[in-house]
Amino acid sequence: MKFKRLILAALPAILFALPTAQALAQAQEMEIVVWAPADQNERYRFEAVALAANVLNEELKIEGRDIKVTVSARSFAGSQTWQQLKQGFSLAVEAGQGPHIIVGGHEDIPVWGNAGLIYPIEEYIDLEAWPFVDVFPSLWPIMSWNGQIWGVPQDAESRPFFGWIPHLKAIGYSDADVAALPEKVKSGQYTLQNVLEDAKKIQDKGLVEKGYGFYPRATKGGDYWQFYAVQKGGDMIDDTSGKLILDKGALLGYYQFFYDAVFKYEVTKKNHLGMEWDQWYNEVANGKAGLWHGGTWHYARYTRREGLDDFFGTVMFALIPSGGAGGKATTLTHPLTYLISKQAKGEELEIAARLITIVSEPRLNTLHAIASAHLGITNAQTKVSQYSDDRWTAEATDLLKSAFALPNSVDFGQYDTLVWKGLTATWSGDLSPQDAVDTVVKEMAATMGNKVIIR
Amino acid sequence: MRGRRSLLPVWFMLPASVAVTVFFVIPVFMTFVFSFTSMSSDTGILGNRYIVTEATIRELTERGVDADLVKRLGSRVFAFDQAGLAAVGKSGLKPPVVKEIEEKLAGAVFGSEKELFAALKSLKNRPRSFRDRKAVSKAVVNTIVNREFRTATGFRAGLASINVEVDDATFDRLLGLVNTSWSWTTKNYVELLASDFTLKILANTMFYVFFTLIFNVGFALVLALATFYMPSGQSKFFRAVWLIPRISPSVIYVMLWKWFTFDSGFMSYFLGTFGVAPENWLNEYPWTFVIFANGFVGASMGMIIFASAVLAIPRDVLHAAEVDGAYPWQQVRRVILPMMAWPILFVTSYQTLSLLTSFEYILLLTDGGPGFFTTETWALNAYHTALSNYYGNLRYGFGATLAVVLVVVGIALSLLYLRLFDFKALVAEPPIES
Repeated sequence: MKFKRLILAALPAILFALPTAQALAQAQEMEIVVWAPADQNERYRFEAVALAANVLNEELKIEGRDIKVTVSARSFAGSQTWQQLKQGFSLAVEAGQGPHIIVGGHEDIPVWGNAGLIYPIEEYIDLEAWPFVDVFPSLWPIMSWNGQIWGVPQDAESRPFFGWIPHLKAIGYSDADVAALPEKVKSGQYTLQNVLEDAKKIQDKGLVEKGYGFYPRATKGGDYWQFYAVQKGGDMIDDTSGKLILDKGALLGYYQFFYDAVFKYEVTKKNHLGMEWDQWYNEVANGKAGLWHGGTWHYARYTRREGLDDFFGTVMFALIPSGGAGGKATTLTHPLTYLISKQAKGEELEIAARLITIVSEPRLNTLHAIASAHLGITNAQTKVSQYSDDRWTAEATDLLKSAFALPNSVDFGQYDTLVWKGLTATWSGDLSPQDAVDTVVKEMAATMGNKVIIR
Repeated sequence: MRGRRSLLPVWFMLPASVAVTVFFVIPVFMTFVFSFTSMSSDTGILGNRYIVTEATIRELTERGVDADLVKRLGSRVFAFDQAGLAAVGKSGLKPPVVKEIEEKLAGAVFGSEKELFAALKSLKNRPRSFRDRKAVSKAVVNTIVNREFRTATGFRAGLASINVEVDDATFDRLLGLVNTSWSWTTKNYVELLASDFTLKILANTMFYVFFTLIFNVGFALVLALATFYMPSGQSKFFRAVWLIPRISPSVIYVMLWKWFTFDSGFMSYFLGTFGVAPENWLNEYPWTFVIFANGFVGASMGMIIFASAVLAIPRDVLHAAEVDGAYPWQQVRRVILPMMAWPILFVTSYQTLSLLTSFEYILLLTDGGPGFFTTETWALNAYHTALSNYYGNLRYGFGATLAVVLVVVGIALSLLYLRLFDFKALVAEPPIES
C-alpha cells in the first residue's frame, strides 16, 4: 500500500520531469544564417556550408557537445545582386538582424571592418593549420586590411582576354600563331594597340558586324580597371601609406584605348554599355564578336547555356594585353570571401569559424569551383581529381599568377564611381579622353582631398 | 455670450497633425541632423568605436604626434608578468596547463604572437587547440592595438592598461583620431559647394522639372479638353487608354520604352524603313525619353482631374458662350481655363514637388547616365549617394545634405505657387454666403 501511495505521490513529479528530461536529451539547436551572392551555378557558396554543417555535427557529437547546427541561407541573384547584398548587410547587422556568415567581395572588408560589422577572422581561425596553410599565398594580402586578415577566400578567378579562333585564322593567324598568342600577350609583345588593329581587320573582312570587333563587358564592373592596370604607372594603392593612387598618365591611356576603339577604329559600339547580358553571352559564344574580355566563370555559361561545344578549339584566352611601353599584361582576380559578422556571438562565433574551416576543404571548395567555373583556393585542390580533370580550371589557374586585385580601402567606392563616370563620358563622346581625365582629377581633388594621391 | 471653447477642432485636426509630424516634420528634422554628420557605411550608424590600428599609427605619425607616444601606442608584447600569469589562471584552461605555464614561462616576454605560440608548443601540457592558445595570448598580451572600445572612459582605461598617461588635450586629440565612427561636421556642405557637378545636377533638375511639367500639364489639359468635346463613349475609352502608363508597373513600363528605343527596337525598325540607320535612341537623346516617359505618367493624373473639373463647369455658362457666338477655342480660353485655375494650380504644384523628388523612371531608364551625370537629377543623386553604390560605400551624411537642399527648394516652390495663384482668393468664402 505504502508503495502504491508513494507512486501516486511521485506520479505528477515524474510526469512533469519527463518532457524536461526529453528536452535535455535533445541537442540544443543552433541556426547559422549565411548570405551569399549566388546564381544557380554558384549555389555551393551557401550549399557547401550546409554540407560542412553535417561534418561539424558529427565532430561535435564525438566531442560530446550538445549542439546541433543547422544552416539557413539567403542567396542574392540577378542584376541588383551586389547592391542589395551590400546595402542589406550594412543595415541588417546594425539592426541586429544580419547573417552570421556573409560571402562578400574582398573590397567589402575595409568598409565593414571600419564600421565594426565583421570580426578579423585571424583571431578565430588558425590560419597556420589545414586547410588554410595550403591556400595560394597570393590570396592572403587580398583578404587583409589594416594589418589584419579579415576573411578567408571563398573562390578565386581571373578575367581573361578572349579571341574567336576562326576569325583570327581568317585574318592570317596560323594554328601556331594562335597557340603562341597567350605567351606573346604575357611577354608584352602583343599590346592593346594590336587588339584594336586585329579587331579592325576582323571587322573589315566582314567576319563580324561593325562594332563587334572588340566586344567588352556589357555593364559596369571591376573588369574595366584592368585597362588602367595594364598601363604604365597603373597602380591603385600606395602600400606604405595605404592611400589610393590615381595616375593621370595611366588613366589617360585607359580612356584613350576605349575612345580609339569607339571613334578611331570603330570596333566597339558607342552604345555598347548597358546592353543586356543574355544577348552579350549569346553573341560572344557564337562567334559574333572578334575579340572580347570576360571572366573564368564565363566558361560555364558558354559551354552549358550557350551550347559552345568546342570551347578550346574556338576560343583563345590570355591575360589582358599590356597598354604599351612601360605597361604589363595582367588580369583582375576578385576573390569572394567568407566573413563572420558581429551578429555571431559567443558559441555562434566559434561554430561559424569551424564551418568556414570545413567548407574551405579542397573537396568541398571544388564543388563550387567546378559548378561555377571559378578557380580553387588551395594547392591541394589542384590534385583533387574533379578539379584537375577539368581542363578549364586546370589551365585557367595559371593566369592567377599574373593577377592583381582591387585595393582594400574605405574610399574605393567613391574613387571608382568617378573614374567610371569618366569612362562613360569618353565612351559616349561627351568628352575627349584628356578632358575626362581633367574632370576626374579636378573632382577627385575637390571631393576626396588627401585621401587620394594624384600623380 | 461666449461659451467654453470646444476642443472638437483640436480632436478633428489630431490625425492630420500626427501624420504631418510623423511623416514630414520628424523625417525632415532628422535629415537635417544627419546632414551635419560624416555618417557612411564605413563609419556605421550606431555609437562610437575607438580603435588603434595600423592605419591610426600611420596617421598619428603623419600628424606629428610625439614619436615616443606613437611607439608606445603601437607596441604589442606578450608578457608573463604577475598580471599576465594571473589572467592565464583565470582563462579557463586546465590546471596542469596553467601550472606548467607558471613554472616554465614566468617572466618571459615575447614580441609577437608567433613567438608566443612557438613557446607554447614546446610545453608538455600545452594548450592544444587554437582557441586555448588564443586564450593564453589574450591573457598575456599587452597592447591597445586592434582592441575595440565603445566609450571614452573605456579607451582611457585601455591606455592605462599599457601604462600610457596623457594630458586631457592630448587625450581628446587621440580620441578624435582613433574614433572610426561618424562625427559632427559641416564638410558635407563645403563639399557640395566645391563640386563642379553640383551646378550641373541643379541645372539638370530644373531642366527636367520644367520641361516634364510643361509636357505633363499641357498634355493633360489637351487630353481633358479633347475628350470633353468627344462623345461620351469615345472619351471614356481614350481616358482609359491614357491611364495605362500610370497603372502599369514602372519596371515594365520602362522596359517597353527600352524596347521601343533599342537599336534593334521598334523605333529603329520604323525609321529604318525611311533609310535612317539604327541607333540606340535612348542613349543618343536621353533627355527626350526621360521627359516623355515621365510626362505620359504624369499626364494621366492631370487628365483625370482636369476632365472632372471641366465637367463640373455649369453647362449654362458654356451654352451662354455658345449663344454669344464663341468658338470652341474661345470657350476654352475665356470660359473653361479661367474656371479651372484651382485644379491647374493643384496639378502644377503637386507635379512640381513630385517631379523634384521622384526618380524611379530615370533610375530605370538611364540611371543618371550616360557619362558624367548627363540625366542625373538632384533626388537621383541623393539616392545614388546615400543608398546605391556599386561597391557598397554608402554616404548617408552627404546624401542627407542633398536631401535637405531638396526640402528647402520644395518648400520655397510651394510658397511661390501659393502666391502666384493667389491662394487666398481661391479659398475665400464666396460673396453669396457672407
